Amino acid sequence: MIDPIIVTDLIRVFLVFIIITAAYIISTRNLSSLVTVYAVQSLALVFIALLLFQIEGSTTLLAIAALTFTTKVLIIPHFIGTIQEKIRIKSDIQFHFLTPIKSLFLSVVLMLVVYITFVEIMDGASAPDDLFFFGAVIGISMMLMGMMIIFSRKRALTKVLGFLSMENGALLFGLFITELPFMIEFLVVIDLIILVLLTTILIVGLDSTIEDYHERLQRFHLWEDDLP
Amino acid sequence: MLIPLIAGHRDRNVIRTASLSLTILASALMAVPAIAILLGGDPVAITAYAPAGLFSIGFFIDKLAAFFILIIAVVSACIALYSIEYVKHMEGESRRNLFCGCMNLFIFAMVLVVASANTIAFFLFWELMAASSFLLVMYEYDGRGTARAGIFYFVMTHLSTLFVLFGIILLWVETGSFAIASLTGAPTLMVTLAFLSLFLGFSIKGGIIPFHKWLPYAHPASPTPISALMSAVMLKIAVYGLIRFLITVFSPELWWGILILVFGTISGVLGVIYALKEHNIKAMLAYSSIENIGIIFMGIGLFVILSAADLPLLATIALLGALFHSLNHAIFKSLLFLTAGSVIKATHTRNIEQMGGLIHRMPKTAGLFFVGSLGVAAIPPLNGFASELLILIAFFTSVTEVEPLVKVLLFVCLALFAMTSALTTSCFVKAFGTVFLGMPRSARGENAHEVKALMLIGPGILAVACVFLGLFALQIIVWAGFSVPMPDMLLVGLLLILMLVLTYVALYFTSPRTIRVSDTWGCGAPSQKAGSEYTAHGFSQPLFMIFSSLYRTQITNDREFYDEPRAIFKSGTAEIRLLKVFEEYIYLPIAMQFRRLATTIARIQNGCLDTYVLYVFITVIALLVFLGWSV
Repeated sequence: MIDPIIVTDLIRVFLVFIIITAAYIISTRNLSSLVTVYAVQSLALVFIALLLFQIEGSTTLLAIAALTFTTKVLIIPHFIGTIQEKIRIKSDIQFHFLTPIKSLFLSVVLMLVVYITFVEIMDGASAPDDLFFFGAVIGISMMLMGMMIIFSRKRALTKVLGFLSMENGALLFGLFITELPFMIEFLVVIDLIILVLLTTILIVGLDSTIEDYHERLQRFHLWEDDLP
Repeated sequence: MLIPLIAGHRDRNVIRTASLSLTILASALMAVPAIAILLGGDPVAITAYAPAGLFSIGFFIDKLAAFFILIIAVVSACIALYSIEYVKHMEGESRRNLFCGCMNLFIFAMVLVVASANTIAFFLFWELMAASSFLLVMYEYDGRGTARAGIFYFVMTHLSTLFVLFGIILLWVETGSFAIASLTGAPTLMVTLAFLSLFLGFSIKGGIIPFHKWLPYAHPASPTPISALMSAVMLKIAVYGLIRFLITVFSPELWWGILILVFGTISGVLGVIYALKEHNIKAMLAYSSIENIGIIFMGIGLFVILSAADLPLLATIALLGALFHSLNHAIFKSLLFLTAGSVIKATHTRNIEQMGGLIHRMPKTAGLFFVGSLGVAAIPPLNGFASELLILIAFFTSVTEVEPLVKVLLFVCLALFAMTSALTTSCFVKAFGTVFLGMPRSARGENAHEVKALMLIGPGILAVACVFLGLFALQIIVWAGFSVPMPDMLLVGLLLILMLVLTYVALYFTSPRTIRVSDTWGCGAPSQKAGSEYTAHGFSQPLFMIFSSLYRTQITNDREFYDEPRAIFKSGTAEIRLLKVFEEYIYLPIAMQFRRLATTIARIQNGCLDTYVLYVFITVIALLVFLGWSV
């Protein structure tokens, strides 16, 4: 057994790490590194779930860790990574409403607003330096940062990653405050996989069938069958 | 009665006839208990739907409600009788089923509004009345100007509904109840706002100037029975609403009465002045309705002023005048609309300048229209005179009793009221003369022929009612349990007939017996043509000149020249037109402002997903901040 104090400190480290990955997802213009960062963020969540299992001993946390690892660290990043290799677009430099720098500043303000709101809501039920309080604040902040990515980026792929990041925030909040039933978490993950599948269609056009979609990708030279 | 709606596209006349016959039967069945309550029967209270909580649908029929139900019943029965024949000649084939069904629904909704015991029921049925009447206005949806009239009506009627709803909500905030019950104590700010809101709502529905503009559009666009129902009955529902809230709910203050009186007087005067310039027979009748609703509002305003001045007997006379004029206007205006509809059906035009000489081709219709004209022009001993006399008596008697400033106001209003009556006479002399007298001014007039019996019986009953209500005005008021200082109109009528007989006898014995047959002198022309007859325009010209500042003409003069110094004239157009003052200076500027506002708001919905996510984001942040601050 690891010392609980070390476990707590480790969780704090991973939480900070998650904030850094979220900040990176908001600010980067490089599409290819986005998926890797998302996978790393998800991996950090897996570690947090495992460390929380050390403290609480609930097997659901183990199941969540396994599910997150399989889907968010392996399947989804692999799938998006494959698409990215095929699609010629490598960077995202088109923004709506907010530039990456403004988004970063806004993220800091958001975290403060969420922190103050939670201090007011909890009102002594949980100390501000409590680990669970900290996790919940970061979870909600991540959700909002993910939403910010959705409306501030024009590329569909970045939007999807924003949505995935939002879901990671929801999972983080669930891990620390109101643990979601495992079945719901499982269903959410299935939704995410379907979302990623549909994204491939959304990127080119909603009106295309799968066959038509492939043809269109070929026609616009957006798909490379014979990669070097 | 809603059978035609169920019948759908089956174009069977028998279905429509059965439906309209049932309308007549139902109207008769409605009239019997209404008369019983009016003659001293106990009020009837019915709870239709009362779930737990505030919301309930209930009905309460007292003397006031019974009186208005009687108006609806009598007019609806006559209009339904007229419609049996009229509907056969309507365009639209299977759409005629919809017409009959909606008309019945419209009548039913009006009865339910009047019978409503609480504001929730009142509002629901008010909206049902508005919706069903809108469908009826849009019956000839492909007709010229119908869409514009429909949109105008839809916007205005819902503006009225909005104000009524606002008034109901304010009353609920004040009392915590939806019951139409008396408020205790002096009016608070909330109660005053509720009154103003309800007054606006009822004024828009009643066609009070400057909220009247939907009437001259909606009436000509609607089929004749609907024009008659809307003008004769629906406007009275607004009058009912105002009276009901004033006497049952509020304790009105003096300035409320002044407000109602001033708006009533303006509507009375301007209504008839605008009627004078109209040559579309239905639009002219619509303006005449505005004038008459103005007179009714004058009576109500006077009632409130005299109640506030603690003169209950005079106040009762004023209110009786307003109520009696509501009944009389319903009778003679439906008669005028129905006969005008017969004329339009026979001539296929609404322009009175293209009619003329119809008294020879449609003598019965002409006779009925004449009775209606006498009624609306307040010629004794007909009903219009009796009710206007009551309001005049209230005016004359009260001017010596009230405080000086109010006295001045009453004198001014009285003078304007008298002028209104004179102008109405002039307006209907023009209408009757142009439509029925002289020679036909067009082939349409020449080819006209009398309508079928059913289209004469309905208006015939209304014409008899005009005479009956005029001759027995005093007796009717006494039967209803009131005492008023007005002359016995039966005696006045007999004296008038005696005078006519004596005049005839005197002329018979004093005039030369030789008979000379010749053409009227026509400025030396060898034979008379319809084109040389006195036109409606010509008749109105002196009044046009007197009221030219009110009509506001606009002269436009566009010229083009060949050269720069503008010396060699190329072409040009000049136009003198009457301005639609209220439309161009009030309605359109307001509509433009709303359009600008709507365009600005519409930018929020820009069809971009990112923007919508941004809205969600801002909402979540706002909720978080609200949560943090409110805890």
